[in-house]
This record gives sequence, C-alpha cells and structure tokens, in this order.
Amino acid sequence: MLSLAIRLLIFVEILVASIFAGLLGSLTGLGGGTVLVPVLTLFLGIPIAYAAGAALISTISTSSGAASAYIRDRITNIRIGMGLEIATTTGSIVGSLTVAYIYSHNLEWIVYVVFGIVILLSIIPTAQRGKYEIPDPKPPDWTTRVFKLQGSYYDDALKMEVKYWGVRWWLGELIMFFAGFISGLLGIGSGALKVLGMDWAMNLPMKVSTTTSNFMIGVTAATGSSIYWYLGYIQPFIASATAIGVLIGAMAGTKILIRITNRQIRWIFLAILAFLGMEMLLRGLYLNRMLVVPIATQYTLSLIFTVIVMVVLYYRYGLKAREVVVRRGGVHG
Amino acid sequence: MVRWDMDYVIGLALRIGVVVSIVLMIIGGTLLIIEGRGLGYSDYSIMSIRSRVNTTVIPPITALRGLSQADGLSFIILGLMVLIATPVLRVALGIASFAMERDWLYVVITIVVFINLMLAIFVIPALLHL
Repeated sequence: MLSLAIRLLIFVEILVASIFAGLLGSLTGLGGGTVLVPVLTLFLGIPIAYAAGAALISTISTSSGAASAYIRDRITNIRIGMGLEIATTTGSIVGSLTVAYIYSHNLEWIVYVVFGIVILLSIIPTAQRGKYEIPDPKPPDWTTRVFKLQGSYYDDALKMEVKYWGVRWWLGELIMFFAGFISGLLGIGSGALKVLGMDWAMNLPMKVSTTTSNFMIGVTAATGSSIYWYLGYIQPFIASATAIGVLIGAMAGTKILIRITNRQIRWIFLAILAFLGMEMLLRGLYLNRMLVVPIATQYTLSLIFTVIVMVVLYYRYGLKAREVVVRRGGVHG
Repeated sequence: MVRWDMDYVIGLALRIGVVVSIVLMIIGGTLLIIEGRGLGYSDYSIMSIRSRVNTTVIPPITALRGLSQADGLSFIILGLMVLIATPVLRVALGIASFAMERDWLYVVITIVVFINLMLAIFVIPALLHL
C-alpha cells in the first residue's frame, strides 16, 4: 500500500510530462503523441506499448477538441477528410496488428527505431512550414469532379476568400494508408504525414490540410485504440493521466501560438524534437544490441546531433523563409 | 445566434464527448488517489509503470459494475470508452449528414469508414480471440 502523497506524486509526474508533450506537440503542429511516447519511455521508463496506448488515447481527445472548433470555422473540408479516412482507418488496422506481432515477439527495438526515424523526417517539413501557404493551382483531374474535392474558406491573414480544389485523390489515399499504418504502429496521430498527403499529393492549401488532418486523426486513433484495447496496450491509470495532461498542454499551446510574434522561437521546439528523435533511434539500436553504448553517451550523441542538424536546417530554411516572407510582402503590398 | 445545422450538431457532439470523458477520468483519478485501490487491485499494482492492470484483465462489464460503488478505476475506464466512442458517433452523424444532402457517393464512403471502425472494435478482437 502506497501513501496518499506517493499516489498523488505518481499522478502529477505523468500529468506534468503530458502537459509538456501536449504543449510542444501543439506548438510544432505534430500533435501530442509524437512527443509523449519518447517522454514517457525515455524519461519515465514506461513500457513502449503502454506509452503508445496512452498516446493514441490522448490523440483522440486533442483531435476531437480541436476539430469541433475548426468545423465551426468551416475551414475543414469534411468530404476530403471523410474520403481519406477510408485509407487511414484501414492503415491503422494493419499497423495495430503489425505492432501486435512485434510486441509478442519481443521486437520492441523496431518500434523505437521507426519512431526515431519518423520524428527526424518530420522535422524537415515542419522547418519548411509557412513557405507555401497557398499552392499554385494544378488543373483539376477526374477525381476532382467525381469526389467533389473543391471548396473555399475565408483566410484571415490574406483577408480574402480562397477557392481551391484537390487533385490526385488516389495518391492522397495511398499516402493516407501509410499515415494510418504509422499511426497504428507507433500510437501517434501522424499528422505530419497526413498533411503531406493533402498538401503535396492533393495540392490543397496548408490551412485546409492541417485542419482536415486534425479532423481525421480522431477517427484514425479511435480505430487503433480499439485494437490496442483488446491487445491490452491501454493501461487505464497512465492513459487517463496523459489524456488529461495532453489536452491541457494542447489548449495552452493554441493560446500561446496566437501570441507568439517571433517565428524564430520554433527553432527551439524543433531542436527538442531532433533530440528526442535521435534518442529514440539510439535507444532502439541499443535494445537490439547493435550499438551498445551507455545511456549517458547516448544523450551526449543525441545532443551533438541536435546541434549539427539545427545549424544546418537554420541556414537552409530559417534564413530562406525570411526571404520568402519579404518577397511575399512585396507582391501583396 | 447559432444555426442548428448538421455541422453545428457534429461539432457539439465532439465537444460534449471530450468534456464528458475528461470529467469522468478526473473523477476516477481523484477517487483512485484517495481510496488507493480499484476493482480489487492494490494502488501499487494499478500505478506502477510496469502494471499488469491493463484493458485485457478488466472486462468492460466488470468496470461498469464498479460505478455504483464509486470505484475510481471504473470511472476511468468509462471515460476511456466514451472518448473512443466520440469519433465513432461523429462518423455515424456524418452518414446522416451526407444522406440529408442526398450525396450518395459520400454516404457510401462514410459507411465504409464506419465499417472499418466496427471491424476494429468488434470483429477483429473476436477473430483474434479464436
């Protein structure tokens, strides 16, 4: 029997870690789960299956919370979102069943390694974000007509009604299947991949991609969670503490995001992501005995890697993004 | 003045689902911390990071029965179930919404998404259980 103080302390510890994850997830736009799993596994020692289960549950709460607001603003394209959910939910089922095989064969290291790679790869699009606000229109194809992929929304920043249409629905579906697979495999919303599918493949404006992706994440995560539930990857105490914490963090993050005027701050968030990604990768290789170095050395290696990557990315995208802003200003002014 | 159209109803359903589930989990967490046990398990076995008390050892029916005894773990599990059910309800309302617009292609698409959810919630666990 533990004392009341100890019980409270365990709860607060998970809660604080989750608030941090929710905050960082919302400020980078990657979602709470992507930050939550590394924090829970690396720093609190929670088994990765429970961490992934808790992350998937928290993803439902943040997605549904945010989606209710976005539907009101009418930026989310519900048709495009629902159409692509066929692929994300199917992918999520395949991903959850794959991870069931991985866990039952004690191959946890694969999840760590894939997680690390996914975080590291999502840093680049996040660093580029803000560059292509409205894409150059591509000629509509047959899927635009059949699946009614057109829409419009009022852009507050540009002060005008933006009309858009999506193309290459089939390519969007293909990428969404993969996004769903990763979501089921790692227990995250994989919002970055969903945005890639809509922004790059279907040529939709960034604002439509991000809000529609958020709308889809809840349904994808509910699919994965149901299978996780049956497999026993959801530990009620951990999952409830993280769902509450991530929601608090995400709500605070949204409020902070509106107030941040200095865009350069996001480089600090990206640096934390780079560190977590590298650390997950190294931990995976360590668990597989491919790279046996002490934990302290792992942290040092991750730190060195982070510094190098951030310097490279800042010179590649940080300075360039400024130029684009200046050029844009010229065009519209 | 709000317009009571389908989008508004869907947004409202999502918000109510999240609020209800979070409130249930906060009640459950508080009870669990105060009482120090839940559904016959000790606080240590529930709260340890390598706890074996996960969703496989607690059948949903057992969890719901604990509600009348103000069992913290029961409230948490009900909260988790409400949270997972929220997007399911959202998709179900989506079918009705597209049907009202007589957009049959999207009614079919949304039904396929709903079938996938039902596969994940009921069919696949039953198949894995065989």
